[in-house]
Order: sequence, then structure tokens, then C-alpha cells
Amino acid sequence: MLNSIRKTFRKYNNFFFNFGMIITLVFFVLAVVGCFYTPYNTTEMNVALKNSAPALAHIFGCDNYGRDIFSRVMEGIRNTFFISFFTVLIGSLMGILIGAISGYYGGKLDEILMRINDVMFAFPSVLLALVIISLFGSGTMVVTLALGIAFIPSFARIVRSEYKKQASLDYVQSAKLMGAKDIRVIFVHILSNILPVLVSSVMIGFNNAVLAEAGLSYLGIGVQPPEASLGRMLSEAQSYLFLSPWYALFPGLAIVFMVLGFSMLAEGISAAK
Amino acid sequence: MVRICIAVHGALNKLKLNNYYFRKILSLAATLLVISFLVFAAFEIIPGDPALSRLGTNATPERIAALRAEMGLDKPFLVRYFLWMTECIRGNFGTSYSYNVPVMSMIGEKLPITITLTILSMSITMIVSVPLGIMLAKYAHRTFDKAGFIANQTIMSVPAFFLGILFTYIFGLVLHWFKPGGYVSYKQSIIGFIGFLIVPAIAIAIPKCAMSIKLLRAAVLQEADKDYVRTAYSRGNSTMQVMYRHVLKNALIPLVTFWGMAVADVIAGSIVIEQVFNIPGLGRVLLTSISNRDYPVVEAVILLIAVVVVLMDLVTDILYRRIDPRVRGNEKG
Repeated sequence: MLNSIRKTFRKYNNFFFNFGMIITLVFFVLAVVGCFYTPYNTTEMNVALKNSAPALAHIFGCDNYGRDIFSRVMEGIRNTFFISFFTVLIGSLMGILIGAISGYYGGKLDEILMRINDVMFAFPSVLLALVIISLFGSGTMVVTLALGIAFIPSFARIVRSEYKKQASLDYVQSAKLMGAKDIRVIFVHILSNILPVLVSSVMIGFNNAVLAEAGLSYLGIGVQPPEASLGRMLSEAQSYLFLSPWYALFPGLAIVFMVLGFSMLAEGISAAK
Repeated sequence: MVRICIAVHGALNKLKLNNYYFRKILSLAATLLVISFLVFAAFEIIPGDPALSRLGTNATPERIAALRAEMGLDKPFLVRYFLWMTECIRGNFGTSYSYNVPVMSMIGEKLPITITLTILSMSITMIVSVPLGIMLAKYAHRTFDKAGFIANQTIMSVPAFFLGILFTYIFGLVLHWFKPGGYVSYKQSIIGFIGFLIVPAIAIAIPKCAMSIKLLRAAVLQEADKDYVRTAYSRGNSTMQVMYRHVLKNALIPLVTFWGMAVADVIAGSIVIEQVFNIPGLGRVLLTSISNRDYPVVEAVILLIAVVVVLMDLVTDILYRRIDPRVRGNEKG
């Protein structure tokens, strides 16, 4: 077990992968720690520290209510991280299911599913999410679900084309000859063979999810105050841009590096192939 | 609905109607029909009676019934869809619930703003990314290329609205190159209008540029080893000539697909960017009508964007066939 992990790491030991891994790990730790501990209470206001610049006690400074920005960025990272995680989870699971069935079986079902899929795919995911939100109202759960649904088509498309490629290969035929049921062929044999493609598309999907979530929460949809979210912090910071530019800078940089980490990881994985 | 599309598809196959554009346009029309049906159905299943919400809480049953009849809500679902659809084709998207004005006039005013923003940012993307992508490919695997790659990857990670905020701070508040929030209507002055929109357009374009550059670099590198490139060199062409006259034609093919899809993305992105720069465009209309539950407006905006998406698909296809004769050659339908 340990040996195989070591082997995988050696295989992916390139600059992009390591760089991406470090950034992603830092954000992961921040997100997990953010669940239990933040340096200051994220909703505690302090008038004396209103819009104060970064200092030793408050390394990212304070916002317009005197709340510690670092703590709020931590909470925002946590929220964005988990919303994106569940978005990708919903999108990829449903995408794999739809893509696998339509790619493996083909025929009329495939044509119907893919026509609907193409229509949805052509629509920008933020817009699709906005439509779903306009139907069911906003809130963290709805946004996660809406983004998850909006991400299904892109996964389904990739998975379907992979399944179409794999379904005619010898190992699938021999598995069938050995009497393996379709479900086993689909989810055990083929799925494990398309894993590398899946991993990189999951990472790209995660990036898109982070960007989409940030955009939606900038518009005021999604995580509701007083809970912190990176997008909403940016929109609040805009009113104080001249007075305290760092209020906008830190949540923005958090988004940038979060996305950068994952895209570097994806780059590193594809470079190792 | 989907069945109809497939049936139409099958019938066409039998008729051996091989005129490509005819088939394409027909299938796009079918796609639009599916979208319109889905949009209409989606806003139909949500709970809530538009007549009730328009009259408020102290409405009498008679008045509700009268308004329902006036709004056509008493007819069966499919009849209403058909009526709505025919009106939409004629350019009448109904009346806004919250403002009680025709949706078309509400959207019509805002449309030029979003269209200008989209055209500006797409043009910037195309003009900037082609030379930069080729340059990166030319210096492939050297320090310049590696630095470019990391810069590119970083830029790709920056959300457009954060770039917009940074621009507002740097160019608006510090350097005073433009006035933040000082939107100029196109009715007042076209130059002022475009001058203001150029900054948001750049903010939208930069991440798209990074993406295009990455795609183009990969495509050029893939082409660079091919025989025709060597032949072109051996005939005495300079690197520039080979790149722009020969390689670019082939390398543009994946890029055209990306740009075609990026248009819809840019429109979606402009919804957020319009908030950053305080531009009263289509995005603003969409957001307020979503929060007001003003469904005719939401439906109209979505349909309009769907039309754009479908049209871009057609344009991409036409461009494809112009750039790449192979697509025209082996056509199965």
C-alpha cells in the first residue's frame, strides 16, 4: 500500500504537480481547520478596528465592521471548498451514470440523452444555475444543487465519449464472454480504465465550480450573511475599495490560488502521462 | 419533443436531403424548440399563481379568475405553450409581471449594451491571443515559454469579476484613467459608451485570452512536426510566413470551437461584470427579475441567450467548413 503510494508520487514528481499539491494542501488544511477554529470570531464586530490595515494582530486587516478578514477568508475558503466539493460530487456522479449508460449502450437512448445534454452543455453553467435558483430560491443547499446539476452535462459528455471508445476494446469483450454482467463491466472494468481522464476532468470541474460559486456569491446568491463567503466579501469590499483595498485583495487572491492549485495539479497529472 | 427531433432527423435521412445548411438549420430550429419547451415547462411547474401574486393578498376570487382569463392562465398547458411560442417568434415575449410593460421593450433597451460588451471582449480575445499563442509556441520549452505558461495558468485562475475590481482600483481610483461607476449611455455618446465598456471588456477578455493562448500553443506545436511545415520551410519561407500562412490555418480549428462556446460564456460572465462596473445591461435585468420572480422576463432572457448559443453553433460550423475543406469532403450528415 505504502509502496504503491510512493510509486504514484514518483510518477507524478514534476514541478506542476508538486506546486499544485502544496497549494491545494494548504487550502485543504485551511478549509478543515476553518471548520473548528478561526483566529478570531468571524462575526464579532469591533468598531475601533473598522477598516484597519493589515497588522500583526490582524494579518489581513479588518473589514468595514471591524471583523478580522483572515478569519473570514478562512471561513469563506471552507464554504467555497465544500460547496465546490459537493457540486463536483453531484455533477460527476450523475455525469458518470448518464455518460456510462448512454456511451455503453448507444442507440436511441444515447441519442435522446445526448441531445438534451448538448443543449444543456451549450448553456453557460452559471446561467443554468441561475435558472434553477430562480425556480427554487437561493441558499447554500440550492446553490450547491443548482451548480451540481449545471455541471452534469460536461461530465456526461466526457464520460460518454470514453465509454464509447472503451466499449469496443478487447478487454470489455472478454469480460463479457466470461459472463460479467453489464453493471460489472460498466462500473468495475471500464470505470477503472477511464480513471485518469476522470481525475483531470474532476479537477477542471472543481476549478469551474470554485469560479462559479464565487461569481454567484458575488451576486449575493448562495451562502447568506453573516456567514462569510469569498464572493460576497469581494462585493462588500467594493464599496470600501479606496479606503481599504486589502479587503478586496485577500478574498480575491484566495480564489485565485485555490483555482491555481487545482489547475496545476491537473497539469501535473497530464504532464506525467 | 426530443422524439420529434429524432423523427425529423430520420425522415431527412430517408429523403436524402444532403444540403448541409438546410439540415443544420432545421436541426438548430428543433434544438431551439426543445429549449423553449423546457424553459416554458420549468417555469410552469414552480408553485405560485402569477395572477395571485400580481393582485396581492386582498384579491377577490372573481378578480383572480378574471385576471387569470386575461393572462390566458385558464387554458391547458400545451395550448398555452403553443400561444406563447407563436408570440415569441413574432417578437412578443409577454408583459413583465412587476413593471407591467412589454418584456421586449425592457430587454430591447439593454440588449445593445450586452452585445457591445460581448463583441468588444471577443474581439480583444481574438486579436491578443493569436500572436501571443504563436509566440509561445515559437519559443516552446524555453524559459520564455515556461514563464509564459505559469503566467497563463495564473491568469486563467483569476475570476473576471475580481479582475474587474482590481481594474477599478488601479485604473479608476489610483490612476484615474476612467471614472468608476460613470457609465455613459449609448444614447448620450457612442464614444463615451464604448470608452467606458472597454475596461469591463478587457476584464472579461483576459481569462479567455489565457485559455485561447494555451489552446493555440498546443495546436501550433502539434502542427509544427508535420510534413507540410517542413515543405514550407524548404521553399524558403521565414518562420513568420510559415506560422501565419500555413500553420495558423490548421491550428485555428480547435480555437474556433472554443471561441464559439466562449461567446455564451462571455454573455454569462457579463452578468457578473455588469454588477462590478454598475452597467445597466441585460444581466441587471435578469438578476432583478429573478429576485422579483418576474418570470416572463427571465424566460425571454434565457430564450435570447439560447438563440445566441444556437446561432454561434451555426457560425462555428460555417467557419469550420471554410477553414477546413476536409470537413466539407467527408460528410455523412
